[in-house]
Amino acid sequence: MTAILHVTELRKSYAGVHALDGVSLAVEAGSITGLIGPNGSGKSTAIDCISGFQKLDSGKVVLAGNAITGQPAHHIARAGLMRTFQTVRIYERLSLRDNLAIAAQQFDPATWVDEFLRTRRYREAVDKAEGRARELVELIGLKRYWEIETGILSYGQKKLVALAAALMPHPRIVVLDEPVAGVNPTRIREIEVALAELNRAGETFLIVEHNVEFITNLCHRVIVLDQGKKLAEGTAKEIHSDPRVLEAYLGMTPEMAEAEMRGAA
Amino acid sequence: MKLAIALLAALAFAALPLLTSSNYVIGVGISALIFTVAAAALNLIYGFTGLLSFAQLGFWGIGGYVTALTVVTFGGNFWWGVVWAALLNAVVALAIGYPTLRTNRHAFVIMTLTFALLVTLIARDWVDLTRGPLGIPNLPKPSAFGHHFATTGQFYWVAWAFSVAMLAFLYALCSSRIGRTLVAIKQNEPLVRAQGIAPMPYKLSAFAISAAVTGAAGGVYTFHLGIIDPLFLDFYYMQTFLIIVIIGGAGSFWGVIAAGVALSALPEVLRFSADFRMIIYGVILVIAMFVMPTGVAGWLRERQLNRMREQLR
Repeated sequence: MTAILHVTELRKSYAGVHALDGVSLAVEAGSITGLIGPNGSGKSTAIDCISGFQKLDSGKVVLAGNAITGQPAHHIARAGLMRTFQTVRIYERLSLRDNLAIAAQQFDPATWVDEFLRTRRYREAVDKAEGRARELVELIGLKRYWEIETGILSYGQKKLVALAAALMPHPRIVVLDEPVAGVNPTRIREIEVALAELNRAGETFLIVEHNVEFITNLCHRVIVLDQGKKLAEGTAKEIHSDPRVLEAYLGMTPEMAEAEMRGAA
Repeated sequence: MKLAIALLAALAFAALPLLTSSNYVIGVGISALIFTVAAAALNLIYGFTGLLSFAQLGFWGIGGYVTALTVVTFGGNFWWGVVWAALLNAVVALAIGYPTLRTNRHAFVIMTLTFALLVTLIARDWVDLTRGPLGIPNLPKPSAFGHHFATTGQFYWVAWAFSVAMLAFLYALCSSRIGRTLVAIKQNEPLVRAQGIAPMPYKLSAFAISAAVTGAAGGVYTFHLGIIDPLFLDFYYMQTFLIIVIIGGAGSFWGVIAAGVALSALPEVLRFSADFRMIIYGVILVIAMFVMPTGVAGWLRERQLNRMREQLR
């Protein structure tokens, strides 16, 4: 297996507080990697730095062999890293169809001249994007909303639209920032199934999430951050039994956790 | 369908000088055409891209002066004057847009307003070039292919052809992927960046195109008036363009076109009451804003969305 995303010694501080204090991580091609940690552990800062939405102080980010460190967000997206946002971001006053079309637009070869002259290159690009969009809309189960402004959808449905948009251009890796936060449990299960299916089809994901069950079910590997440092890394199972993780997350030592469990029993 | 209606409306407008010989009515028609073009240009930068630009007034003024000076001082003709007005405004827009578009939207509003005021000052105080408050009177009506557009009725067709060409261009732009991208930038700029699109070239082009069209419109309007002086930069014009965009529905191409025609005619229709007409006009605007806070187009769209919500239930 080879790593599609390689992050080395990422550092970022705000006014003397180290949000990221030398974080290194790698995401294998074709895997689902989870990034977890308590609030303020640096997860969001890490993916903002990786995706170009924040300037990093030092460190190195390599995507599929190309250094993308410190490049502007749109360059990184073009290099093949698509992301979603914690507070859902979609074009609320455009139809689902347009939302998905715009997401793929930068990745086809058609220019505005092609569009104006309705060249074959333009028509092919539009048809291809439309085909992909219909496929994804089918997958996320929002087919009946195709022509409808996405603003009227529910919060969970909007998260699915954001996910589909990120997948539109066949990116090398998709970074999801809390894909199921604030989503109702049945919908969470649907998202889980959809992501697993996409992963089987070859998509690579890096997921930041608080929902432990969701992460455990999906992720091949889990990375735990705490106070801007990598605390642990391993399979979901290994992470669960790691005493350092328990302490960081629950604020208790393994002995306390054990005592608690005995008490519950 | 929409295009067919637009085409019919355009042809109907072309016939106006055949229906009346009143210079007053034809003059109102010219104003309606030109103001609609300027409003559509403002709609491109404000309605579509979400950047409230008061610089339009400056572009309008520069366009008027450049066209007049091309003819009077530099010995060119009207047509070249309009072309120069468009080109020079595009360059000016790029020059002021490049730094100001890096700031936030609020700073952009202030900076464009400052620019408009600066242009007013230049028009008034650079007397050697603009003749200051005296203005440049007696602008000759243009001619083309041996035909002289001497009367108001004949000049009307110049304004008509200009407006149809500009609106067709703006429509092609707004309904293309470029227009869709501008809307996307207005709605969610970080998402646009996350999708590999750099917003800056889009914003800058929209600003420059909007400036060029506004400038050309100012040039044509100057020759309708036959004189240009610093009053051409009166805030009245900016206010008119802005009212048309807001009442029509910012971001709706056809809404703004319809409002352009309707609101240019409205103050004239109200002339039956000379004393109160501007008050009545104001009251109508206030009521329109109460009933349709997002403009006519926004109001129609909201109704359509509500119907969809009903259906989905």
